[in-house]
Amino acid sequence: MSTSILLLTAGLAAALSVAGAFKAPRLWLSFVLVAAMASLAAAVGTLAGGGVWELQSGWTIGGERVHFRLDGLSAFFLALLAVIGGTGAVYSQEYWTDAAHPRSAGPGRAWWSAMLTSMGMVLLCANGLHFLIAWELFAVTAFFLITLERRWREVRDAGWLYLGASHAGSLCLFGFFAMLAVRTGSWDLGPMRDRPELAPLFWLALAGFGLKAGLFPLHIWLPSAHANAPSHVSAILSGVAIKMGVYGLVRFSGWLPVPEAGGWVVAVLGVVSAVLGVAFALGQHDLKRLLAYHSVENVGIILIGLGFAMIAAHHGHPAWGALALAGGLLHVWNHGLFKGLLFLGAGSVLHATGTREMSRLGGLWKAMPWTAGCFGLGAAAISALPPLNGFVSEWLVYLGLFDAVNAHDTVAWLAIPAIVLLAMTGALALACFVKVCGIVFLGVPRSRAAESAHECGWRMRGAMLLLSGLCVAIGLVPVVFWPAVQRAVVEWRAVEAGVEAPLMALAGCNVVFAVLAAGAGAALWWHVTRRGIRRAPTWDCGYAAPTARMQYTAGSFAGIITEWFAWILQPARHRRAPEGVFPALARQDEHTPETVLEKVVQPAGSVVMTLSTAVRRLQHGRIQSYIVYLLLGLLVLSVLVFAWASSGSR
Amino acid sequence: MSSNLNLLIGIAMGLNLVALASGRLPSLIRAAAMQGVVIGVLPLLMHSEFHWLVAAVSAGTVVVKGFVIPSLLQRALRAAHIDREMEPLIGFIPSLLLGAAASIGAIGFAGALPLRPEHAGVLLVPGAFATVVCGFLLLMGRTKAISQVCGYLLLENGIFLFGLLLIRSTPLIVEAGILLDLTVAVFVIGIIVDRIQREFDTLDTRKLTALRE
Amino acid sequence: MSLFIDTVLRLAGWLLLAPLIPGVINKVKAWVAGRRGPPVFQLYYDLAKLWRKGVVLSHVVSPMHVAGVAVGWVALVGAAMLLPLGEGGLAFRGDAILFVYLLAVARFCTALAALDTGSAFEGMGAAREVSYAVLAEVAVITGLVALAVESGSLSLSTMLTPSPGAGVALLGAGLFIVLLAENCRVPFDDPNTHLELTMVHEVMVLDHSGPPLAAVLHGASLKLLIFSVLLAEAVLPLGAMPAWAAAAALAGAVLAIAIGVGLVESFLARFAFRRVPLLLTTAFLLCLFALLTAWKGSEFGVTESSVAERGAPAAEPFFGWRP
Repeated sequence: MSTSILLLTAGLAAALSVAGAFKAPRLWLSFVLVAAMASLAAAVGTLAGGGVWELQSGWTIGGERVHFRLDGLSAFFLALLAVIGGTGAVYSQEYWTDAAHPRSAGPGRAWWSAMLTSMGMVLLCANGLHFLIAWELFAVTAFFLITLERRWREVRDAGWLYLGASHAGSLCLFGFFAMLAVRTGSWDLGPMRDRPELAPLFWLALAGFGLKAGLFPLHIWLPSAHANAPSHVSAILSGVAIKMGVYGLVRFSGWLPVPEAGGWVVAVLGVVSAVLGVAFALGQHDLKRLLAYHSVENVGIILIGLGFAMIAAHHGHPAWGALALAGGLLHVWNHGLFKGLLFLGAGSVLHATGTREMSRLGGLWKAMPWTAGCFGLGAAAISALPPLNGFVSEWLVYLGLFDAVNAHDTVAWLAIPAIVLLAMTGALALACFVKVCGIVFLGVPRSRAAESAHECGWRMRGAMLLLSGLCVAIGLVPVVFWPAVQRAVVEWRAVEAGVEAPLMALAGCNVVFAVLAAGAGAALWWHVTRRGIRRAPTWDCGYAAPTARMQYTAGSFAGIITEWFAWILQPARHRRAPEGVFPALARQDEHTPETVLEKVVQPAGSVVMTLSTAVRRLQHGRIQSYIVYLLLGLLVLSVLVFAWASSGSR
Repeated sequence: MSSNLNLLIGIAMGLNLVALASGRLPSLIRAAAMQGVVIGVLPLLMHSEFHWLVAAVSAGTVVVKGFVIPSLLQRALRAAHIDREMEPLIGFIPSLLLGAAASIGAIGFAGALPLRPEHAGVLLVPGAFATVVCGFLLLMGRTKAISQVCGYLLLENGIFLFGLLLIRSTPLIVEAGILLDLTVAVFVIGIIVDRIQREFDTLDTRKLTALRE
Repeated sequence: MSLFIDTVLRLAGWLLLAPLIPGVINKVKAWVAGRRGPPVFQLYYDLAKLWRKGVVLSHVVSPMHVAGVAVGWVALVGAAMLLPLGEGGLAFRGDAILFVYLLAVARFCTALAALDTGSAFEGMGAAREVSYAVLAEVAVITGLVALAVESGSLSLSTMLTPSPGAGVALLGAGLFIVLLAENCRVPFDDPNTHLELTMVHEVMVLDHSGPPLAAVLHGASLKLLIFSVLLAEAVLPLGAMPAWAAAAALAGAVLAIAIGVGLVESFLARFAFRRVPLLLTTAFLLCLFALLTAWKGSEFGVTESSVAERGAPAAEPFFGWRP
């Protein structure tokens, strides 16, 4: 009962916040926060208390009765939505103010409320038709948020690309839900695992939800949308919106029977996304675009967990499947937290310097110690370093994979490459985030903009600190959050076996390590400062006047690794080598394109466009020709009918 | 006996990878020669009792593949002043990974084949598959004549391993076939080396760069 | 109480013995070259001296430059404490992965501290370190999978003690190459070079001085000891020996590895950088084939320990005391 009240409060507050969005930003913020708190409370209550909250009212929308349902799985995602939605709202109060963006700040707040509400609806709806409506609303509101700054051409392009990709996905989902409704005779959603004839529908769901989740070959919309949206929007896009795709996959792989090959395909796509996502990230020099590619990587890690759980479902639910799924689901939370944090940090950098180009940044730690600290923490978390949260979830996935290997089954043929490539992904992510932190925050400023940077205010800082705190909390005391994960895992396919992992031991190690590391850092700093520090220029082979331009750049830092992946990255290089005794201008540019988009989708699209242009010539507005078409069409039809009739009579 | 056999075949498979990874012609030739010696010893291990024909085949293989052909190649290398570095069409690391994948795939594939029980526990079939594939990889991925010859040698070694499967049922024919194979191989190499020599005679030594490919 | 004493003793062992390994390596190199060389305890003297010295820091660096060194050092100590030494010690399912990622923490800190100085040379070193570590980490994790298949467990204490199977030579060779790469020894990097352009590890710590440099040097020697012990325990069937024999065998093996590193360094030139990935790929493949042999070996019978472990994963204690 209390869940109903909380969710009603959340819905009301979200609706009211739209009213305050244009004129009263503070009111809007408080309503959004109330909505976030209420839905968080509802989610936590469901996760902690167990049981499933359901509401079937007599109202109908589109001829279907309204049916809401909040179980362990949707509550798991709802909690993430509430946290990121609330933090992002606080952050946006300072980041996207009326003063700086008089035209878009108000609509931005309204769309924010609308998007949070529609995502919440996606999670709650247990009716296929209403799910589709909510899904479509969510897709459209996200489009308006991405294109808030639509003066710029690249923002508009990114928005259109997003809208196109999103609707391609929606098309698959329309097919999916319609065929589901036809085969089951009702739009109602719920567990229907005992009907094996529904299994092939999974492929449609994989395409539709995979597009939203940003699986590797379907991720084409993701980098430009994340890079060009305002940073708090990027945070919720990456932290929550793409998780809606993951939610769809987890939900319907749990409710419906899945084909035997489904798990294998999901796991392989996960591995491919993980490795190639981080490889593409290494080639980027735009801070937010780089972070966007890391979303592809992390969705890959999540799907490795889901894929192995699906394989396990066909093997009679051994424990390794549950472990892998638990790792994947916990990674949903973790990725939402640290990626949200990183995007907010990137927004803070953008806010202070006006550029996302890493080669123009540098040395920001001095001006922005809070941002640098939070971003560094997020970087360590996303590189899966202990004692932070990213490590805990990846560790769980590893446990599942190792146990799958030791099950001595055919699944080992996939589990061993998955382990090896997951390790490779971790090391590549580490390389990438060393690059980001080092180039952006350490060293010397590379441009005037970076020199005159300033720290952000308390609201942006507070949002980042909250997310950092959660990252640390999940890392140090994962046992507190573990029951929620267990509950979601059990909810997935209603297997009561549960899932166990030696988390206490890991948590102990993490805490000891964190305390010792902090202590040792402080002790060494104390020991060093006690005798005073002498300052000198950086050692550059004896050269005493180093300049900012002599620093290592992002491109050269990643050069070794991008060379290994040049076969897929296809970097475009423009080089003008120095010539002669007194060389004049020399330069080298390197740019990593979105290979799938530019080398596959766009050529295919241009072929389609050429064909359609050719067909379009038929329409020219001359009525005489149209009559000719009519007559010809009639003739052809009658011939066909005649032929069919004569063959039928025979 | 079977474990010794497996060890030797395993070494032969390892030498495949060494051949794929070696960046210089002399080490490639050495790897091919060592593989020749290793598989030359195999027929002796497969027969429990001593048989002069088997011994002769074994000795012949070891001598020809392990010493005669490699020394011919080395001579050609010295005579033609060929640059010892190789320029791969397929890079060393990709070809190494492909070779390893082929070896693992061959082991998995052989497990699925309906082999006779006495061959099931032995690595003969996967070893043969892997060696043939690695030979093809060398043939496809390297540009120089000598490395092509080494590719042929590996290919031939793989076929020899296949032939060993039949050694019990039809010893004489198979062994004759293997010997014939060897003769053809030597013949082919002889022609290649001869052509190199001829070019060497007619051309100025400094212009021999044209022979590198 | 005994747990506390045991922990302190193990910690002291790791910390005090680590600087011996570089001393042994340098002695071996000197002998091969016909010199007398520095004393075996040279690094101890250096560390003591550095610890008492003052610090010169670049104008550019942040406090992270100093604190990161300490965090990295603690991470290495943590990794060392996860390795089993005889009876007892910290052990739980999945500590093998924690081990690998603690080494990654150390790498993260060192590389960031290098970029902190804004020096082109240190950036170059950091780039090389994190790039080659990708391949090295892949090889290590493959070796761990091989050990996990061999023992049916995912805890270092049970993975490293049983007598290894047929693939031991392959695994040993692979891990030895990784040891050379991860510790920046000769075919990959020359610890004695004085040319910044060609260094990997040394160039990253050019701007450290005084106590932080002491921590870096001690951490490097500790890492060398960690990899030596890992290699020795992966190769030798220490679990089957009585305690004193196991200790002696371990000490002997670590000494042999140090001598081996010294000999490699004396007789081998360092590779060109473009050859480094090939060598690391070779290490990966060696570990992969060791995994394959372990897989083939274990196909014929799942060991009892693995059944017991998979049956009751929840019962593992916080501090596992191996019987």
